[in-house]
Amino acid sequence: MNPTAGTQEPPLGDMEVTTSDVDRVERALIDASTRLPVLVFYASAVGWLLFATLFGFLTSIKMHSPDLLTNVDWLTWGRIRPAHLNALIYGWGSMVGMGTSIWLMARLCRTTLRHPLLLITGAAFWNLGVLMGIIGVLIGDNTGYEWLEFPGYSAITLFVAYLLIMTWALIMFRYRRRGHVYITQWYLLGAFLWFPWLYAAAQTMLFIVPVQGVMQAAVNWWFANGLLFLWFGSIGLGTAYYMIPKVIGRPVHSYYLATIGFWTFAIFSSWTGMMRLIDGPFPAWMITASIAAMILSVIPVATVGLNHHMTMQGHFPLMRYSPTLRFTVFGAITYTAFSIVGVIISLRSMAQIVHFTEVSMGWTYMGLYAFFTMVMFGSMYYIVPRLVGREWRYATLIKLHFWGSAYGIGLMVLLLLVGGFVQGLSLNDPTLPFDETTESILPYLRGRSLSWILLTVSHCIFAFHFGLMLLGFGRTASLPTFLNPLEEKSEGGH
Amino acid sequence: MKGLQSIFLGIFGIFGFSWLGMTVVPNLQIGSLNPQSDDEGTDIYPMPASGMALHGARVYAANGCLYCHTQQVRPEYGGSDLDRKWGERRSAPRDYIFEPIVMLGNMRTGPDLANVGHRPALQEKGAAAAPSPAAGASPAPASGATAGTSPVAGASPAGAVSPAPATSPAVAASPATAASPGAVAGASQAPAGNAPAPTASASPSTMVANVNALTSEGEPLPYTAAWHHRHLYNPRSINEDSNMPAYRFLYQKRRIGGVASPDAINFAGAPNDQPAAGWEIVPSYDAKCLVAYLMSRDQSHPLKEAKSAVVAAPAPAKEGQK
Repeated sequence: MNPTAGTQEPPLGDMEVTTSDVDRVERALIDASTRLPVLVFYASAVGWLLFATLFGFLTSIKMHSPDLLTNVDWLTWGRIRPAHLNALIYGWGSMVGMGTSIWLMARLCRTTLRHPLLLITGAAFWNLGVLMGIIGVLIGDNTGYEWLEFPGYSAITLFVAYLLIMTWALIMFRYRRRGHVYITQWYLLGAFLWFPWLYAAAQTMLFIVPVQGVMQAAVNWWFANGLLFLWFGSIGLGTAYYMIPKVIGRPVHSYYLATIGFWTFAIFSSWTGMMRLIDGPFPAWMITASIAAMILSVIPVATVGLNHHMTMQGHFPLMRYSPTLRFTVFGAITYTAFSIVGVIISLRSMAQIVHFTEVSMGWTYMGLYAFFTMVMFGSMYYIVPRLVGREWRYATLIKLHFWGSAYGIGLMVLLLLVGGFVQGLSLNDPTLPFDETTESILPYLRGRSLSWILLTVSHCIFAFHFGLMLLGFGRTASLPTFLNPLEEKSEGGH
Repeated sequence: MKGLQSIFLGIFGIFGFSWLGMTVVPNLQIGSLNPQSDDEGTDIYPMPASGMALHGARVYAANGCLYCHTQQVRPEYGGSDLDRKWGERRSAPRDYIFEPIVMLGNMRTGPDLANVGHRPALQEKGAAAAPSPAAGASPAPASGATAGTSPVAGASPAGAVSPAPATSPAVAASPATAASPGAVAGASQAPAGNAPAPTASASPSTMVANVNALTSEGEPLPYTAAWHHRHLYNPRSINEDSNMPAYRFLYQKRRIGGVASPDAINFAGAPNDQPAAGWEIVPSYDAKCLVAYLMSRDQSHPLKEAKSAVVAAPAPAKEGQK
């Protein structure tokens, strides 16, 4: 049904020596052509991930120990928090997402990567933009709009960088082989085109020709949810649609369902922005429209979830071996949970309680980390060995990384959701002095710092392992690195 | 190829649909509002903020205040904002038309600030009408520890809600202020103590500017400018349980040359924060602007489109009110 899924992937070690199979040669050539740009994106992303982790940890600690490092202006809580979140969004998330998208696009278009220099220049400018943005936020140039904190000089750099990268993606798509467009490509095309439109529209309406009054907040959250769903969501879902069938070696259960899922996802999720402004100073219809869109987004979630589940049917034991599958399935399942929580917190009766609490933060982390980041980790475990020609060195490190990330983010999301609910109940009890509402969340915030320890350790392990791969210390083996020794012949690939 | 065109069109259409629906159409509806005025064209609201408050908005954004404080009051059916006395009515789009950066906020680790500039006036009203329980802390021989927390008791919305019986009628802030030495600005408060409370819900904004209003311990009254400076410098000197960061980098410690600066932070009742003798702590320009911005947060003016609970109560209601 589709050109890629179902094709048995050869173990990587064979790639350099076997020349009999035309497909194998073709894939090896494509992989070789994507090698440098994708690794540049990945290496930058991992660097930003470490930065975001450090600042996230510090943000979390300062929340319950406010007197730590308090005399330095650039280390004040209100500056490191946006630095953390923006490093996570634009540094780690966007760069790893672009790296994976480039590789997937080249593979699925069945064409070697043209103009790698364009991409590398784009990556360099993007890094520069993020760096300037982080510095800008730290020195006090925060614009005051969430998810758009980077000042103008950074935003324009990011935009130019992005145009370079997108131009490349469209060129690639233009020269693709064979007519069929796989569902992953739909998602990637969508992401690549939506991002610049969203970004340009938000920048224009907030900074170049600012809209009046509360419309700024509406544009702001329209953009932020757009980025969360149409950019990160699309890349994450598209990647999952590639990785799951690829690893287990069977096609997507229903291509028809996948198509429906894509369009309903795009239509509904792009309208959800005003769920962040429930009961705010806006005409009621705007907020109602977003709540309705959020509820309707259950349709694509169910479609995508069902499709993945049916594809996986009977192959769940493979998660015992394949790191890629384990991370990807974790992310795909969390996507369903993320959407359901999103629907629940959008309902007016619930929003009354949880709207201005840590619940919204927990939900954001669910989307950005538990879903998107985990899927991206999975894709890196699949792609990096194909780029460097080596297998991951230590199965133990992969396992530690997985459990550290899974328990870390699971704990964090749980604490923020439950703690935020408790906080919301106290906020809504007007007989309770305000101080006590903050105190009601503090134990949960201390717990969150524990979850950051887990995440920090797991990210450091991953960065170390990735560094080994970059430096050529991976294993040369004919079989990919499995998490557990194979008990019998595994029918799937890597 | 035909299928591909429809993909591109679909992707573009979806974006355009959401852009039009979520930003352009709402902008037509609420994107060009005018200030409200009465029939004579006076009593205009809202008014553009002063230059210092405009710069203060930048300082507020730069230091991430918006990640813990909202600036919006939800209507009675959306949470307890009105019960917490964060405002007398819900916020409306018109309240924000002159805001340079609209920071509605998304999180309430700290209290809502939509009306924080109006609170000193509210408290004077409250003190004049029915002495607030905060006054209970005013008997002079208060220990240092309780004195440190007393402004909070006065500030806490819960305190304002429960009309505790007054222990003595004279404990309203103003007479005490007048008695305390060096209370130059006490004059503007005196009428509030003696005369009946002003009936209008909108209090004169001159009270807001009353920087030097003091409690009987010589501490700044809650939510006055002097109080904000002390709170920003060290939130724990006002409320020891606060988890707000201190913004000490917005202040300068300097040697008193000749006359002490009138801007120097008042640390009465907080000996730990008191600089050594001969030294004083003064706000930087940024800190002054930030406080000017905070003092400009005031949505107490009635708006036609947002009914005020307080104003509506005494008036003969048009429809049955609950």
